[in-house]
Amino acid sequence: MTVYIVPLIFITVLLLSVFRKKNAYSSFVKGAEGALSLMMSVLPFLLAVMAACEVFRVSGASAVVSGFLSPALEFVGIPGECAELVLLRPLSGAGSLSVLEHIYQAYGTDGIIGKCASVIYGSSETVFYVSAIYFSKSNVKNLRYAIPLALVATFLGNILGCNLCRII
Amino acid sequence: MSIVWLIIMLVSITALLFINPSSALEALIKGANDSVTLALNLIALYGIWLGVFEILESTGISDKLAKLLRPLVRKLFKGESEEAEKYISMNVSANLLGLGNAATPMGIGAVGAMKPNEKNPNKASTNMIMLIVISATSLQIFPSTVIGLRASAGSANPADFIIPCIIATVSSTVLGIIGVKIIGALESRLSKKRELKLRVIGEAS
Repeated sequence: MTVYIVPLIFITVLLLSVFRKKNAYSSFVKGAEGALSLMMSVLPFLLAVMAACEVFRVSGASAVVSGFLSPALEFVGIPGECAELVLLRPLSGAGSLSVLEHIYQAYGTDGIIGKCASVIYGSSETVFYVSAIYFSKSNVKNLRYAIPLALVATFLGNILGCNLCRII
Repeated sequence: MSIVWLIIMLVSITALLFINPSSALEALIKGANDSVTLALNLIALYGIWLGVFEILESTGISDKLAKLLRPLVRKLFKGESEEAEKYISMNVSANLLGLGNAATPMGIGAVGAMKPNEKNPNKASTNMIMLIVISATSLQIFPSTVIGLRASAGSANPADFIIPCIIATVSSTVLGIIGVKIIGALESRLSKKRELKLRVIGEAS
């Protein structure tokens, strides 16, 4: 579905600018100018989180924490093998993608573990990144309950998705 | 966030000290490298979307979109200016289309245009939290990365997880919205009670 959405949005926007007699090219350039400064204010946050995520993974600390978590996850219907994925997904897209690849190699893609892992990765966002980037240009330092709530909501979605995998 | 980061760093690097001390810096640099690669990709991606939004802005369509979505936006976000509502409606519509990356630049604009927290400008207002939660649980309508990875790993039917996946992503967004509404309502009730108490004490003295 999204395959069609994006080209259609572009065509609509361009045609609109023609009808309204606006210079699409100069507007586009003016808008694109903001991309670099945007990423410059975000990169420090991104770097800090992703570097931490990588040592967390490489040191095996995340595997140890996952080991403790997996019985609890099994209890709510998420395969214990997916614990590390659940743990790293909100921190880093690249880090959790390599965990997903490991799961596919170790347990296959089409078993219940592979399916649940696909649902966990596919239905969640990098919560910490989104939170950091949205506030990167504002004075707000304290996000109060935003991150815990987003994590809880994502986790509940994961539980529902994994249990559906067992039925469907 | 700061505490989580500190604990992860301390625990992991301490563990590496005993297991494999030489890989500590290596892993940090690998992570940093990934972030720079991602940032470069995102500059390109945001450049495209910011450009498209600027065209949209110049045609005046973004104002019309905001007007169209105003009933929904006002239900989720109470008492924001028209400027903020415009950013919010573009952010929310991009999120609802599953275009999380296109939503991000608008989200940053929305946070800038939103009213600061009345009690403490350093803290996020309830509306800002709503924006974050909607975006951080954003709808992933077509998880193309996962489908591609499954296909290359030899899956018989790479897209067969998509129904539970969509149900999971939709319900996480809905649960997030409900959560913000409940906590927001509890908070305003608490602060009203506190105000009432203060007034009673004030009148008594």
